[in-house]
Amino acid sequence: MKEWRLLYELRDLTYRYPEVTALDSVTLDIAPGERIAVLGANGSGKSTLLRVLAGLSFPNVGSVRFDGTELTEDTLAGETFAFAFRRQVALIFQNPDVQLFNPTVFDEVAFGPLQLRWPRGEIVERVQLALRQMEIEHLKNRAPHRLSGGEKKRVSLASVLVLDPDVLLLDEPTAALDPQSQSQMIDFLAENHGAKTIITATHDLPVVGDIADRCVVFDAGRVAADGRPDAILHDEALLLRAHLLYRHRHRHASGVVHSHPHLPGPHRHD
Amino acid sequence: MHIPDGYLSPSTCAVMYAGAAPFWLVALRRVQAMLHARYVPLLSLFSAFSFVVMMFNLPLPGGTTGHAVGMGVAAVVLGPWGAILAISLALAIQAVLFGDGGITAYGANCFNMAVVGSLTAWAVYRLISGRSALGSPRRAVAAALGGYLAINVSALCAAVEFGIQPRWFHDANGVPLYAPYPLAVAVPAMLIGHLTFAGLAEGILSGGVVRYLQRADPALLRTTAPENATDPLQPQPAGGWRTVRPLWIALAVLMIATPLGLLAAGTAWGEWGVEDFSNPEARQHIAAASAQVAPPDAVPSGLERLASLWTAPMPDYAPAFLKSRSLGYILSAMFGVGSILLAWLAAGWAARRLRGSHNRPPSATLV
Amino acid sequence: MGRQTFAWFTQPPAVGDPRLSKAAGFLERNVVALAKTLDHAARADETARRRGLLQKLDPRAKCVGIFAWILAAAATSRLAVVGTIFALAVALAVLSAVPVRTSLGRVWTGVLVFTGSIALPALFLTPGAPVCRIPLLEWNVTAPGLLAATRLVGRAETTATLAALLVLTTPWTHLLKALRTLRVPKTAVVILGMTHRYLFLLLGLARDYFEARRSRQVGRLDNAQRRHAATATAGVLLGRSLALSDEVFMAMRARGFRGEVHLLQDARFRTRDGLALAAFVAVAALGLL
Ligand SMILES: Nc1ncnc2c1ncn2[C@@H]1O[C@H](COP(=O)(O)OP(=O)(O)OP(=O)(O)O)[C@@H](O)[C@H]1O
Ligand SMILES: [Mg+2]
Repeated sequence: MKEWRLLYELRDLTYRYPEVTALDSVTLDIAPGERIAVLGANGSGKSTLLRVLAGLSFPNVGSVRFDGTELTEDTLAGETFAFAFRRQVALIFQNPDVQLFNPTVFDEVAFGPLQLRWPRGEIVERVQLALRQMEIEHLKNRAPHRLSGGEKKRVSLASVLVLDPDVLLLDEPTAALDPQSQSQMIDFLAENHGAKTIITATHDLPVVGDIADRCVVFDAGRVAADGRPDAILHDEALLLRAHLLYRHRHRHASGVVHSHPHLPGPHRHD
Repeated sequence: MHIPDGYLSPSTCAVMYAGAAPFWLVALRRVQAMLHARYVPLLSLFSAFSFVVMMFNLPLPGGTTGHAVGMGVAAVVLGPWGAILAISLALAIQAVLFGDGGITAYGANCFNMAVVGSLTAWAVYRLISGRSALGSPRRAVAAALGGYLAINVSALCAAVEFGIQPRWFHDANGVPLYAPYPLAVAVPAMLIGHLTFAGLAEGILSGGVVRYLQRADPALLRTTAPENATDPLQPQPAGGWRTVRPLWIALAVLMIATPLGLLAAGTAWGEWGVEDFSNPEARQHIAAASAQVAPPDAVPSGLERLASLWTAPMPDYAPAFLKSRSLGYILSAMFGVGSILLAWLAAGWAARRLRGSHNRPPSATLV
Repeated sequence: MGRQTFAWFTQPPAVGDPRLSKAAGFLERNVVALAKTLDHAARADETARRRGLLQKLDPRAKCVGIFAWILAAAATSRLAVVGTIFALAVALAVLSAVPVRTSLGRVWTGVLVFTGSIALPALFLTPGAPVCRIPLLEWNVTAPGLLAATRLVGRAETTATLAALLVLTTPWTHLLKALRTLRVPKTAVVILGMTHRYLFLLLGLARDYFEARRSRQVGRLDNAQRRHAATATAGVLLGRSLALSDEVFMAMRARGFRGEVHLLQDARFRTRDGLALAAFVAVAALGLL
């Protein structure tokens, strides 16, 4: 049996932009196969955390280890580790326009495999497979600027799934999706339960129960809470403090607590 | 400014491609060396930006609008090498997708606007902005002047390319095959448009964008500023703007004023050089073209004065084949300024070499 | 397909209320110009995906062939050859379902206005025997002047038509594929592709910025304020472009990009592409004989 080890170890990690500290002494362990929801209000540091986990931004203070190897500019400069790491860890950006930079959908999905220098025949086969999986074969020759928001999200997902990554980092995957695409996305995340480590940044509380077994709440760059979704989602005081819930101020609904204007409280998707 | 196909002979086009190619190569090498892998998205986005900015209607004084090329902005933000590539890419998309500028003339357009334009804009910007603070008004003025002069030098290049066509490319009867106007017509005709509208548009855009960046995102100006340019956050000593070497400004004013002065002297559309007025054969041609109204016997006095002012220094370095003095004069003036700039660049380069290379932030320095 | 996705691009922007201030007119003009550019690209892409003769050809054959014709039209000294190539180009346009009157017509008037006004003075300025006289101005049109002006306009019209024909029958992505195999450096091809891709994003953004400014504009802007509006928009766009380039770089790196570009080559040059290319080159060579 495989020796149990941590996938990610973050120790006292601090990341600063010129004007703000986006992550402030974050210490976090992530085990293989976990499904984690990273919750937090706008600007609380979720996207920054995912970029650090993806080996794209490097901490100013503290360290982040992946499978025992520290992630730094230097370790990712070497070809062997970088190839293995990039294949295993995939990040889907919050803004799909950033992610889709190729002239056509096909080129987009083929980009990752090409960089990893897979054989040509295999690339074409795997790209077809990924397109089928995401039900976007008909978009193959489209230019990304002619896709709808939901289609862009699917292409983004296909463009990383083609590499069959073990770790999926998703930044707001359900934002800008219509209810049907949203539930397809959630089904997809639920299906991959156990096979992949999935870390999802979101402030969409109603879906958390379906996509995660663990919640990490961020508030202004710090870990405010870490635990099981049901415990966290019922801790009203915590969610209010982290600005994930708000209390209506005006008279019709005084005292009523909402996470979303029309979706009161956590609900399960079935 | 965007030369279409059919204006230049294929051989001129080939020469212009050959002229631009080494700059592309050097630029690509330098940009790759400075930015590593980052240059791919940076150039792509910047070229797209340049293209979009070329579409803007810029209001000019007097209620008209004009379009800029954007080489001033590109040179200030990316430095000359990045600017050469970014503008060339934007021109490629314009030529292929929008038919703005020819395909055979692409080399010439790149040479004029991307290469000569970017280098001029950058040199003038660096020269005038000197070591001033990133937030200093001097930088905005420097960028505006850089853009203004860059577009004019580009236009001059285009005019020279037009102007040599009838001399070298005509049929057995002497009828021009391509652009039909000689240098003496092409140069003033191109320059008058650019000294006024296009130049202003470019100047306004470059100056305005620098002004905006000074307030919103001064870090973007750091790339092309010398290492010790002071930060905008630390206010400059009060005299910063006034102690500017006035020399540089005088020089810039001179560069602008010289061709303007020539035009003001009555040769704006002056098809003929000074000596043509006294040459009987030429007088007949002029008469024929001016509907049999005989030209004045004497040379217009303004033209005469100017020409004599410049006859002394000119022949020393005026290329011999240029018969027209007005043209020789503009070219020599530009040439003179160009050589000063070049010497200045060389000195700056040597100084940097002596001081050794500096570690700069990763996203910076394309210079 | 193209029409649908681009419906919001091609919708005419809200037509100016006559009471709108001059300033709003200026902002609106920019909105219109940017929307038109988007529209133009969308339309080119739409005709490029129709079923037609040139659309069926391999883009490499088309690129080389049309370039050969452009060269021939530029190199010949005989007007008849220029005219023949022009006629052939129009015939190809018809066979390729390119809307001649709208798409090519726009190209023709554009060239006529621009090159025509440049060529006009040559009629009078070129020395030579007069052929006719403009009544009121008493200017002579000379024979060589007429010939020189006709040459310039004829060449410009023909080459512009050919260039338009290439774009109107070849989607941008196919053009890029052609460039890949025509020995244009891979890096240049990748950057051109990315430039084109983000062009649409930035054009849309710029249009939105002007639109937003216009919607908030109540009073009248003086000229300096308008200049400020235009340059500030350019500045915002510049900041956005550079920020995007950083993020795009991260996205590329996340998928293994290390500075070297790799592309899928698919070279399937069929017999009919070879034949078409041979025909193109033969016509060009005939014209130059
Ligand atoms: N490129 C950047 N430069 C400077 N500051 C940045 C940059 N990106 C993010 N920040 C700042 O860092 C903080 C954390 O940003 P981050 O994008 O990680 O938040 P987030 O939790 O993903 O927010 P959202 O829910 O809005 O996506 C914010 O205060 C933000 O302003
Ligand atoms: Mg985010």
